[in-house]
Amino acid sequence: MRLNDSLLGAILLVFAGWVWWLTTYFPSFPGQDYGPNLFPRILAAGIGLCALLLLLRGLRAGGAALVLEPWTRQPARVASFLMIPGGALAYILLSDPLGFIPTAFLLLLGLFLWFRARPVLALPVAAGMTLLVHWFFAGLMRVPLPRGLLDSVL
Amino acid sequence: MPILTRRSLLAASGAALAMPALGQGNWPNRPIQLVVPWGAGGGTDATARIVGSLLERDLGQPVNVVNRTGGSGVVGHSAIATAAPDGYTIGMITVEITMMHWQGLTQLNPTSYTPLALMNSDPPGVQVKQDSPYQDIKALADAIKARPAGTFKASGTGQGGIWHLALVGWLQAMGLKGDHVRWVPSNGAAPAMQELAAGGVDIVTCSVPEARAMIDAGRAKSLAIMAPQRNPMFAQVPTLNETLGINYSVGAWRGIAAPKNLPAPIAQRYGAALKAAYDNPQFKEFMSSRGFGTVWQDAAGFASFMAEGDRAMGAAMRGAGLARG
Amino acid sequence: MDALLQAFGLVFDPFVLGVIGVSALFGMFVGAMPGLTATMATALLVPVTFFMPPVPALGAIVTATAMAIFAGDIPGAMLRMPGTPASAAYADESYAMTQKGQLNLCMGVNLVFSVAGGMIGVAVLIAFAPLLAEVAINFSSYEYFWLACLGLTCAVFMSNADPVKGFLSLFFGLLLATVGIDPAAGFPRFTFDNVDLMGGVNFVATMIGMFAVSELMRGAVSLDQDAKVVVQAVGNIFKGVGGVFRRYWLNFLRGSAIGTAIGALPGAGADIAAWISYAMSKRFSKQPEKFGTGEVEGIVDATSANNSALASAWIPALVFGIPGDSITAIVIGVLYMKGMNPGPTVFQENPQLIYAVFLIFILANIIMLPLGWAAIKSARQILRAPRNMLLPVILLFCLVGSFAMTNSLYGVVLMLAMGILGWVMEEHGIPVAPLILGLVLGEMLEQTFVQSMIKADGHWLEFFSRPIAGTLGVVTLGIWLVMLGRGFRRGPVAAPA
Repeated sequence: MRLNDSLLGAILLVFAGWVWWLTTYFPSFPGQDYGPNLFPRILAAGIGLCALLLLLRGLRAGGAALVLEPWTRQPARVASFLMIPGGALAYILLSDPLGFIPTAFLLLLGLFLWFRARPVLALPVAAGMTLLVHWFFAGLMRVPLPRGLLDSVL
Repeated sequence: MPILTRRSLLAASGAALAMPALGQGNWPNRPIQLVVPWGAGGGTDATARIVGSLLERDLGQPVNVVNRTGGSGVVGHSAIATAAPDGYTIGMITVEITMMHWQGLTQLNPTSYTPLALMNSDPPGVQVKQDSPYQDIKALADAIKARPAGTFKASGTGQGGIWHLALVGWLQAMGLKGDHVRWVPSNGAAPAMQELAAGGVDIVTCSVPEARAMIDAGRAKSLAIMAPQRNPMFAQVPTLNETLGINYSVGAWRGIAAPKNLPAPIAQRYGAALKAAYDNPQFKEFMSSRGFGTVWQDAAGFASFMAEGDRAMGAAMRGAGLARG
Repeated sequence: MDALLQAFGLVFDPFVLGVIGVSALFGMFVGAMPGLTATMATALLVPVTFFMPPVPALGAIVTATAMAIFAGDIPGAMLRMPGTPASAAYADESYAMTQKGQLNLCMGVNLVFSVAGGMIGVAVLIAFAPLLAEVAINFSSYEYFWLACLGLTCAVFMSNADPVKGFLSLFFGLLLATVGIDPAAGFPRFTFDNVDLMGGVNFVATMIGMFAVSELMRGAVSLDQDAKVVVQAVGNIFKGVGGVFRRYWLNFLRGSAIGTAIGALPGAGADIAAWISYAMSKRFSKQPEKFGTGEVEGIVDATSANNSALASAWIPALVFGIPGDSITAIVIGVLYMKGMNPGPTVFQENPQLIYAVFLIFILANIIMLPLGWAAIKSARQILRAPRNMLLPVILLFCLVGSFAMTNSLYGVVLMLAMGILGWVMEEHGIPVAPLILGLVLGEMLEQTFVQSMIKADGHWLEFFSRPIAGTLGVVTLGIWLVMLGRGFRRGPVAAPA
């Protein structure tokens, strides 16, 4: 998936403008010409300049607005692709209420099965890896992994 | 951002669930988190870890030190304040809690917590480069007074940090304006000491233990400390009172606190455990080996100590033009 | 001498040796798996090492990366798939050797010259880092400001990508570094009243997102077309290596020297070292026409270079706190977490830790010989590991690892956002490395700028008033002029992704 340089440039130009606009709310300090807004403004200007170059370059070169690789037309592949950010999102939403162990186990199992691992193998590996990671991080490293449903058992 | 509100909601519901369990008097029955608003390896972290290990032995449950760093301490302090008051999350709060809200960085102030105990306080020192032309505090003070404002540059922490206020307070006690010596903000005491050794600034007003590495390496020296008494670890460094007749003292303190509304029985149990930890020779030995000062205040004493400190900091920061909002 | 003895005690401790052993196996595995890079190995290791004392933590990183850079050569030769980007420069050449039936010699040369090149890099690190630290103790904010500028400039200058996109990535990284409380006045910027954002953008979570999650997203797409892996059997790999050494010792020295020099430059690491030394080898060869047909000459240069670059990249990282490559960018973060602020003072305050790092580097290169041999022998099994199970497990490590960095879900949210951003950037040919360097160096750049301006009472010329600062400043401005010229001449031809 690739946007044309001109389109990318236009989006970044808007972004740079937004950053600049946010810096106008930063306070200035009496007797100092270089307050908290100086660096962000230099950077917004830099991004804006790069964006402008991309925009001009893209317009000169032409080409399609959006180039899609062949895999984006295969629903199964697109789903596989979305599984990774989707899995992370599910973890973010579920790990606090469910706790680490159920979330991680379901996540691994779901992904294993989606990627066509044999269930005989997927089930024990998902359970084993979940417990291993929990033992290592929560037990040895004392990371406060969410306890969730199993709070009273752990 | 929605996460925060969701987290605090969860924390609140967690507290409601935990309440009946407390009635049964079996607290603590799972690991306790000790939140530290500063990074691993620093002085606050080290102090929290020794306190945590002593609490662990007393309470019979693991005490996990969790570093929640960033935002000049705001992140960690708010993590402690917004946790469930079930006794399973406590934290080490530091002097910044009496300063950040004056700067407009957060709404949190000392009353956002259940204070448990004050354990440590370190006074600032006045450090100069080893080959500085000012070999004692008197010479330095006279030179500062004689020269126009902005001639001298000092560093030690960020703008409006505790060591900046130490400098401001000292200058004001000498009858000068708070910005007579220009403050160069730094990312903590260690980079400020490096800047001092490289000749970038003239004075660093961090605590003596923080300056110790450069002093031991023979690149800097401490001219005075802003405290009522000398520190036995650095007995050769005089106080401001002895040398200049200025009775000014301030300090960076560290104490243990819990989220607000901690049930009284748990607070009392913590109070006893912390007192035992404070009296433990292991704690004393560790603190003095690092050159850290030890101070004890129980829950009530800590609360009034913070209230007093908060008022004083507010006045000092307004006076120095550092307060905002 | 006392510190050296202490360092021996620190390193030769059963726990530390155990950690080194496990990380060596981990590094071999990650390096040998195409698609998993040495940087990713480090990013995944950091949360694990976070809770260890400094010596085993640094030992784990040093060992794992050294192994991974070598092990990347294995699938390059066997499958024409470089295990890490640092092996990409000569993967075709290695594969051509394999097709000519010289797999044994190719593997032997890769292993032996990786070890030897690594040793040269370590020797330079040991010789020069303490000397440089002596000089750097007198550096003030002016010198650090110019060093940070120079490091950031190199990051764009050295990368093969289109300079406009390189700068874009760099500015983005610097902008991310401004999120949180500003170093001058203590004002919260771009935080949108969110407490987590006040703490800034955690850069390990960012790294895990950019280097691991985006890679997983790419990998997930092609998971179903993984061809059955066919790997040739390996015989005696050390036969004939001595002959190669006698014939190409000059190439070995040249490759190691180039690798060491490039590694020590801020912003350029093992992969660029391999590309440049391979190109140099061809340029100065008596038979350049044979390059690409399975000739061992270029491999000697490049495989020595990437391993020597690995060690010398630690020089700027330890001495100035400026990363030599993306691996040492992570190392600097680890050092800060351990309370060992990188910079010349570490050499005074904790010389035993510095010596311990040196010892671990030597040790890692020594054990690379037997472990590398074992990895080559078991390459069949490693390359047959089912990727459909590996991918989800790595995702779990990413999730837990980024959680552990902030002890909250903020790290995980950040990792996901950065993973998606990293993927989008790669799709558009925008390099990720400058962003990471910008994020690491952004605070130093702004802090030293503000400090310098306050110290100078606003006089710009003060930035050039000290001899070293002046030299660094002139060099930096010179590079900028050259880059500007190059950028204008380049015109509308975009570099392909």
